[in-house]
Amino acid sequence: MIDPIVSSLKIASSGLSAQSTRLRVVSENIANANTTGNVAGADPYQRKTITFAAELDRLTGADLVKVSDVGRDPSAFVVEHDPGNPAANADGYVKMPNVNMLVEMADMREANRSYEANLQVVKQAREIINMTIDLLRS
Amino acid sequence: MDSAYLFGITSQRNAWLTARQAVVAENVANADTPDYKTKDVAPFEDVLNQVGMKMVADNQAHIAMGDGSSDGVARTGQQDWLVTTSDKDVTIEQEMLKAGEVSRSYSLNTSIVKAFHRMLLNTVKG
Repeated sequence: MIDPIVSSLKIASSGLSAQSTRLRVVSENIANANTTGNVAGADPYQRKTITFAAELDRLTGADLVKVSDVGRDPSAFVVEHDPGNPAANADGYVKMPNVNMLVEMADMREANRSYEANLQVVKQAREIINMTIDLLRS
Repeated sequence: MDSAYLFGITSQRNAWLTARQAVVAENVANADTPDYKTKDVAPFEDVLNQVGMKMVADNQAHIAMGDGSSDGVARTGQQDWLVTTSDKDVTIEQEMLKAGEVSRSYSLNTSIVKAFHRMLLNTVKG
Protein backbone atom coordinates (compact mmCIF):
# COMPACT_ATOMS: atom_id res chain seq x y z
CA MET A 1 0.00 0.00 0.00
CA ILE A 2 1.54 3.26 -1.17
CA ASP A 3 1.27 6.41 0.92
CA PRO A 4 -2.15 8.05 0.31
CA ILE A 5 -0.62 11.49 -0.19
CA VAL A 6 1.70 10.24 -2.91
CA SER A 7 -1.22 8.45 -4.50
CA SER A 8 -3.34 11.60 -4.40
CA LEU A 9 -0.57 13.42 -6.29
CA LYS A 10 -0.65 10.62 -8.85
CA ILE A 11 -4.44 10.75 -9.15
CA ALA A 12 -4.44 14.53 -9.54
CA SER A 13 -1.79 14.32 -12.24
CA SER A 14 -3.91 11.80 -14.14
CA GLY A 15 -6.74 14.32 -13.92
CA LEU A 16 -4.46 17.09 -15.19
CA SER A 17 -3.41 15.08 -18.23
CA ALA A 18 -7.01 14.05 -18.99
CA GLN A 19 -8.18 17.66 -18.85
CA SER A 20 -5.32 18.86 -21.02
CA THR A 21 -6.21 16.24 -23.64
CA ARG A 22 -9.75 17.60 -23.49
CA LEU A 23 -8.41 21.10 -24.03
CA ARG A 24 -6.43 19.83 -27.01
CA VAL A 25 -9.58 18.34 -28.58
CA VAL A 26 -11.42 21.63 -28.04
CA SER A 27 -8.65 23.59 -29.71
CA GLU A 28 -8.66 21.16 -32.66
CA ASN A 29 -12.39 21.72 -33.04
CA ILE A 30 -12.06 25.51 -32.89
CA ALA A 31 -9.12 25.57 -35.29
CA ASN A 32 -11.04 23.46 -37.79
CA ALA A 33 -14.36 25.28 -37.40
CA ASN A 34 -14.24 26.35 -41.06
CA THR A 35 -12.44 23.40 -42.61
CA THR A 36 -14.41 22.17 -45.60
CA GLY A 37 -13.60 19.31 -47.92
CA ASN A 38 -11.48 20.01 -51.00
CA VAL A 39 -13.47 18.21 -53.68
CA ALA A 40 -17.02 18.93 -54.73
CA GLY A 41 -19.57 17.52 -52.28
CA ALA A 42 -16.91 16.19 -49.89
CA ASP A 43 -17.55 15.97 -46.14
CA PRO A 44 -15.99 18.74 -44.03
CA TYR A 45 -14.19 18.38 -40.67
CA GLN A 46 -16.28 16.36 -38.23
CA ARG A 47 -16.27 17.64 -34.65
CA LYS A 48 -14.27 15.49 -32.22
CA THR A 49 -15.62 14.43 -28.84
CA ILE A 50 -13.78 13.07 -25.81
CA THR A 51 -14.89 10.53 -23.21
CA PHE A 52 -13.30 9.85 -19.82
CA ALA A 53 -13.30 6.59 -17.89
CA ALA A 54 -12.24 5.66 -14.37
CA GLU A 55 -9.31 3.28 -14.37
CA LEU A 56 -8.41 1.27 -11.29
CA ASP A 57 -4.75 1.69 -10.39
CA ARG A 58 -3.56 -1.60 -8.94
CA LEU A 59 -0.68 -0.08 -6.99
CA THR A 60 -2.74 2.42 -5.03
CA GLY A 61 -6.19 0.83 -5.28
CA ALA A 62 -7.53 4.20 -6.37
CA ASP A 63 -9.50 5.23 -9.43
CA LEU A 64 -7.35 7.21 -11.86
CA VAL A 65 -8.95 8.94 -14.80
CA LYS A 66 -8.03 8.24 -18.39
CA VAL A 67 -9.23 9.26 -21.81
CA SER A 68 -11.24 6.27 -22.96
CA ASP A 69 -12.14 7.47 -26.41
CA VAL A 70 -11.74 10.40 -28.77
CA GLY A 71 -14.69 9.97 -31.10
CA ARG A 72 -16.52 11.90 -33.77
CA ASP A 73 -19.72 13.87 -33.31
CA PRO A 74 -22.30 12.27 -35.64
CA SER A 75 -24.59 15.29 -35.74
CA ALA A 76 -25.56 16.76 -39.12
CA PHE A 77 -23.35 19.24 -40.96
CA VAL A 78 -24.45 22.82 -41.49
CA VAL A 79 -25.18 23.49 -45.16
CA GLU A 80 -24.38 26.89 -46.64
CA HIS A 81 -24.98 28.27 -50.09
CA ASP A 82 -21.58 29.25 -51.53
CA PRO A 83 -21.19 28.30 -55.21
CA GLY A 84 -17.67 29.68 -55.42
CA ASN A 85 -16.31 27.24 -52.83
CA PRO A 86 -14.29 24.31 -54.22
CA ALA A 87 -16.28 21.96 -51.96
CA ALA A 88 -19.66 23.17 -53.29
CA ASN A 89 -21.85 20.49 -54.82
CA ALA A 90 -23.72 20.79 -58.13
CA ASP A 91 -26.39 23.01 -56.54
CA GLY A 92 -23.83 25.35 -54.98
CA TYR A 93 -24.23 24.12 -51.40
CA VAL A 94 -21.22 23.56 -49.13
CA LYS A 95 -21.20 21.32 -46.07
CA MET A 96 -19.66 23.20 -43.15
CA PRO A 97 -18.26 21.46 -40.03
CA ASN A 98 -20.69 20.68 -37.19
CA VAL A 99 -18.63 22.77 -34.77
CA ASN A 100 -20.59 25.18 -32.58
CA MET A 101 -18.30 27.88 -31.25
CA LEU A 102 -20.45 28.50 -28.16
CA VAL A 103 -20.38 24.84 -27.20
CA GLU A 104 -16.62 24.71 -27.68
CA MET A 105 -16.08 27.82 -25.57
CA ALA A 106 -18.23 26.40 -22.77
CA ASP A 107 -16.34 23.12 -22.96
CA MET A 108 -13.04 24.97 -22.81
CA ARG A 109 -14.11 26.87 -19.70
CA GLU A 110 -15.18 23.65 -18.04
CA ALA A 111 -11.92 21.92 -18.88
CA ASN A 112 -10.11 24.93 -17.43
CA ARG A 113 -12.12 24.75 -14.22
CA SER A 114 -11.48 21.04 -13.79
CA TYR A 115 -7.78 21.58 -14.46
CA GLU A 116 -7.69 24.24 -11.75
CA ALA A 117 -9.48 21.93 -9.31
CA ASN A 118 -6.88 19.23 -9.91
CA LEU A 119 -4.09 21.75 -9.46
CA GLN A 120 -5.66 22.77 -6.18
CA VAL A 121 -5.56 19.17 -5.01
CA VAL A 122 -1.86 18.98 -5.91
CA LYS A 123 -1.20 22.18 -3.95
CA GLN A 124 -3.03 20.92 -0.90
CA ALA A 125 -1.23 17.58 -0.97
CA ARG A 126 2.07 19.45 -1.16
CA GLU A 127 1.03 21.59 1.79
CA ILE A 128 0.28 18.46 3.82
CA ILE A 129 3.67 16.99 2.96
CA ASN A 130 5.33 20.25 4.02
CA MET A 131 3.44 20.30 7.32
CA THR A 132 4.66 16.78 8.02
CA ILE A 133 8.24 17.68 7.22
CA ASP A 134 7.95 20.76 9.45
CA LEU A 135 7.31 18.42 12.37
CA LEU A 136 10.96 17.46 12.20
CA ARG A 137 12.07 21.08 12.32
CA SER A 138 10.39 21.99 15.59
CA MET B 1 3.70 7.71 30.47
CA ASP B 2 0.08 8.65 30.77
CA SER B 3 -0.62 11.02 27.97
CA ALA B 4 1.96 10.11 25.36
CA TYR B 5 -0.74 8.31 23.42
CA LEU B 6 -1.51 11.72 21.98
CA PHE B 7 1.21 11.10 19.41
CA GLY B 8 -0.43 7.84 18.46
CA ILE B 9 -3.89 9.29 18.10
CA THR B 10 -2.75 12.31 16.09
CA SER B 11 -0.72 10.18 13.74
CA GLN B 12 -3.74 7.94 13.24
CA ARG B 13 -5.92 10.92 12.61
CA ASN B 14 -3.37 12.19 10.11
CA ALA B 15 -3.32 8.81 8.37
CA TRP B 16 -7.08 9.04 8.09
CA LEU B 17 -6.85 12.60 6.75
CA THR B 18 -4.33 11.62 4.08
CA ALA B 19 -6.58 8.73 3.04
CA ARG B 20 -9.41 11.25 2.75
CA GLN B 21 -7.25 13.58 0.69
CA ALA B 22 -6.56 10.69 -1.71
CA VAL B 23 -10.29 10.05 -2.04
CA VAL B 24 -10.91 13.75 -2.71
CA ALA B 25 -8.21 13.63 -5.40
CA GLU B 26 -9.99 10.65 -6.98
CA ASN B 27 -13.31 12.49 -6.97
CA VAL B 28 -11.85 15.63 -8.51
CA ALA B 29 -9.92 13.72 -11.18
CA ASN B 30 -13.04 11.75 -12.12
CA ALA B 31 -15.43 14.71 -11.88
CA ASP B 32 -16.13 14.54 -15.62
CA THR B 33 -16.18 10.76 -15.92
CA PRO B 34 -19.59 9.43 -16.91
CA ASP B 35 -21.29 7.20 -14.31
CA TYR B 36 -18.67 7.99 -11.65
CA LYS B 37 -20.16 8.47 -8.18
CA THR B 38 -18.70 10.37 -5.23
CA LYS B 39 -16.59 8.37 -2.78
CA ASP B 40 -15.86 9.17 0.83
CA VAL B 41 -13.97 7.64 3.74
CA ALA B 42 -15.94 6.42 6.77
CA PRO B 43 -15.83 9.05 9.56
CA PHE B 44 -12.88 8.86 11.94
CA GLU B 45 -15.22 8.64 14.95
CA ASP B 46 -16.80 5.48 13.52
CA VAL B 47 -13.41 3.89 13.15
CA LEU B 48 -12.49 4.69 16.74
CA ASN B 49 -15.85 3.47 18.07
CA GLN B 50 -15.28 0.06 16.55
CA VAL B 51 -12.08 -0.43 18.46
CA GLY B 52 -12.58 -2.55 21.54
CA MET B 53 -10.81 -2.36 24.87
CA LYS B 54 -8.89 -5.18 26.42
CA MET B 55 -8.52 -6.07 30.07
CA VAL B 56 -5.13 -5.58 31.60
CA ALA B 57 -3.28 -8.87 32.03
CA ASP B 58 -1.29 -8.57 35.25
CA ASN B 59 -0.92 -12.27 35.88
CA GLN B 60 0.60 -14.96 33.69
CA ALA B 61 -2.58 -17.01 34.00
CA HIS B 62 -4.67 -14.27 32.44
CA ILE B 63 -5.75 -14.94 28.89
CA ALA B 64 -6.00 -12.04 26.46
CA MET B 65 -9.52 -11.68 25.12
CA GLY B 66 -10.24 -9.99 21.83
CA ASP B 67 -8.05 -7.39 20.25
CA GLY B 68 -7.60 -3.77 21.17
CA SER B 69 -5.36 -2.04 23.61
CA SER B 70 -5.24 -2.31 27.36
CA ASP B 71 -3.87 1.11 28.24
CA GLY B 72 -7.21 2.87 28.02
CA VAL B 73 -6.60 4.23 24.56
CA ALA B 74 -8.59 3.33 21.49
CA ARG B 75 -6.17 2.41 18.78
CA THR B 76 -6.79 0.93 15.39
CA GLY B 77 -4.32 -1.40 13.81
CA GLN B 78 -5.80 -1.08 10.39
CA GLN B 79 -4.14 0.91 7.68
CA ASP B 80 -6.78 0.75 4.97
CA TRP B 81 -9.83 2.84 5.73
CA LEU B 82 -13.34 1.97 4.70
CA VAL B 83 -14.18 3.81 1.48
CA THR B 84 -17.85 4.07 0.62
CA THR B 85 -19.39 5.03 -2.70
CA SER B 86 -22.48 7.23 -2.60
CA ASP B 87 -25.08 7.54 -5.37
CA LYS B 88 -24.37 11.22 -5.99
CA ASP B 89 -22.44 12.80 -8.83
CA VAL B 90 -19.27 14.70 -7.99
CA THR B 91 -19.61 18.40 -7.14
CA ILE B 92 -16.24 20.08 -7.47
CA GLU B 93 -17.15 22.82 -4.97
CA GLN B 94 -17.96 20.24 -2.33
CA GLU B 95 -14.71 18.41 -2.98
CA MET B 96 -12.76 21.65 -2.61
CA LEU B 97 -14.48 22.24 0.71
CA LYS B 98 -13.52 18.75 1.83
CA ALA B 99 -9.92 19.30 0.76
CA GLY B 100 -9.84 22.55 2.75
CA GLU B 101 -11.21 20.76 5.77
CA VAL B 102 -8.56 18.05 5.46
CA SER B 103 -5.84 20.65 5.17
CA ARG B 104 -7.05 22.57 8.22
CA SER B 105 -7.39 19.48 10.40
CA TYR B 106 -3.98 18.31 9.32
CA SER B 107 -2.44 21.63 10.21
CA LEU B 108 -4.21 21.54 13.60
CA ASN B 109 -2.87 18.05 14.27
CA THR B 110 0.69 18.87 13.34
CA SER B 111 0.52 21.97 15.54
CA ILE B 112 -0.68 19.88 18.46
CA VAL B 113 2.14 17.41 17.94
CA LYS B 114 4.65 20.26 17.73
CA ALA B 115 3.40 21.84 20.95
CA PHE B 116 3.42 18.52 22.72
CA HIS B 117 6.86 17.71 21.45
CA ARG B 118 8.11 21.05 22.77
CA MET B 119 6.58 20.26 26.14
CA LEU B 120 8.32 16.88 26.25
CA LEU B 121 11.64 18.42 25.27
CA ASN B 122 11.29 21.06 27.97
CA THR B 123 10.68 18.31 30.51
CA VAL B 124 13.76 16.42 29.35
CA LYS B 125 15.93 19.54 29.45
CA GLY B 126 14.66 20.29 32.94
